[in-house]
Amino acid sequence: MKVDMKLGLKDVPGSLLWALEPISLHGGNIVSVLHSRNGKDPVSVQIGFRVKDQKSLDLIKKDMKKHTIHLTEILVEGRKYYSKKTLSIIFIGHIIDKDVLETIDRINEAGLVSSIDVLMPSPEEKSSVMLNIDVDNGNIKRLNKTILGICKEKQFLLIRSL
Amino acid sequence: MKTKEINLVIIGFGVIGKGFAEVLADKHDFLRANYGVDLKVTAICERDGSVVCKKGIDLDNVVELSLNNNLKAHENWTTLKSLDVINKIRSDIVLELTPSNIETGQPGLTHIKESLKRGMCVVTSNKAPLAVEFSQLQKLAKNSGAELRYEATVGGALPLINLRKHALQVNNINSVQGILNGTCNYVLTKMADEYVSMDVALKEAQNLGIAEADPSYDINGIDTGAKVVILANSLLGMDVSFKDVAVTGISDVTTEAIELARKHNHVIKLIGDVERLDVSPRLVPINHPLNVSGTLNAVTISTDIARDITVIGPGAGGKETSSSLFSDIIDIIRSK
Repeated sequence: MKVDMKLGLKDVPGSLLWALEPISLHGGNIVSVLHSRNGKDPVSVQIGFRVKDQKSLDLIKKDMKKHTIHLTEILVEGRKYYSKKTLSIIFIGHIIDKDVLETIDRINEAGLVSSIDVLMPSPEEKSSVMLNIDVDNGNIKRLNKTILGICKEKQFLLIRSL
Repeated sequence: MKTKEINLVIIGFGVIGKGFAEVLADKHDFLRANYGVDLKVTAICERDGSVVCKKGIDLDNVVELSLNNNLKAHENWTTLKSLDVINKIRSDIVLELTPSNIETGQPGLTHIKESLKRGMCVVTSNKAPLAVEFSQLQKLAKNSGAELRYEATVGGALPLINLRKHALQVNNINSVQGILNGTCNYVLTKMADEYVSMDVALKEAQNLGIAEADPSYDINGIDTGAKVVILANSLLGMDVSFKDVAVTGISDVTTEAIELARKHNHVIKLIGDVERLDVSPRLVPINHPLNVSGTLNAVTISTDIARDITVIGPGAGGKETSSSLFSDIIDIIRSK
């Protein structure tokens, strides 16, 4: 089966090879790699390959997740198979004190926190945390509800994307 | 071209009132030559009295007196209050330019109602009456046969309501969102550009006369919320009032959050999201049309045919806002 996979890669040496490894490991035959280098990070990459069956594709996806590769879309025989969106948000509040791991776990029930960036002026003051969250298009409502619930409960100010 | 005389009454002679008077003094002949109208201000009402002159008030003189806090020295000063003027002096258009009180809508709400009841058209820059009783005022205007126009209530000089009316007629508007408060935008821009705290940015805005002595109305998002109500009712056909809008201001936005946003190619802006009836600080990509600096306002109208139209311009200022007031006045005159 013919697969087109869109992913976002960190603009660092070796990241493309790292992303291609699961495909070759599970018998995928790579036919094209399109790099969209427009100065943005992550860099958008589209890989076209052929695999034997659905099981092989599932193994590739699983390994890509292990490699923390950010998949945005998969087309199988030209039809959308899987599509994701990355939401960026900022929390302002006592995020670390109010069990940051629990916050991330709750978000991960609806999406997947793919990166986190924290600025803490001092332990007493409020910290600011930026999260990038990957989410299936069908799960966006659930994710928003989860985030709003966390903010209400832990008294965080939420800054959402447009 | 035959000239038509139009009598105006100005209620409220603050920054916008004086800005309007200055522009009218400057553009009077232009308006007569191009639109065939002789605009004459026959009364100017302030809190403690009014200047009334049926022949027309000398605008340069009255602006100077007002700037020197000496309006009472005008030869035509009377103790008539604004409601007395509305009831006793017949005018074609009443300009309601008093400050907004979002809780009651007063005194503008009564001024507008009484003017409409007497069949006088109203042009206003006062958000509060419309944010509080939008549909009631529309109904009153319809029943009285007088027009109520309010382009200047949202976005200062930005043409939004008249843009929809005159240039986007065939479009369905899907959403409207943008920066509707120049003070908040100035403060957030200052924090991002110079990495200063909100207190420092706000203090500078106050020193420059951009922010009020009590800036809570702007910083807490109330001003933006009132504008969201007006846009929701006028552009999206909703029937909502201020209490229907979820409002979060910018007072808790930290310099660290602004720094994080910048590191990830974003800025933080206070966005009025009209479709969602929401006002909150939002992450805006650095290359997005809504990323405007300083006191500028910017609004994106998303439509089915024209797609996204973004209007950017000064959201405040007496002379700038008068551009919208004149747009409404000329429209009323043309429709008569």
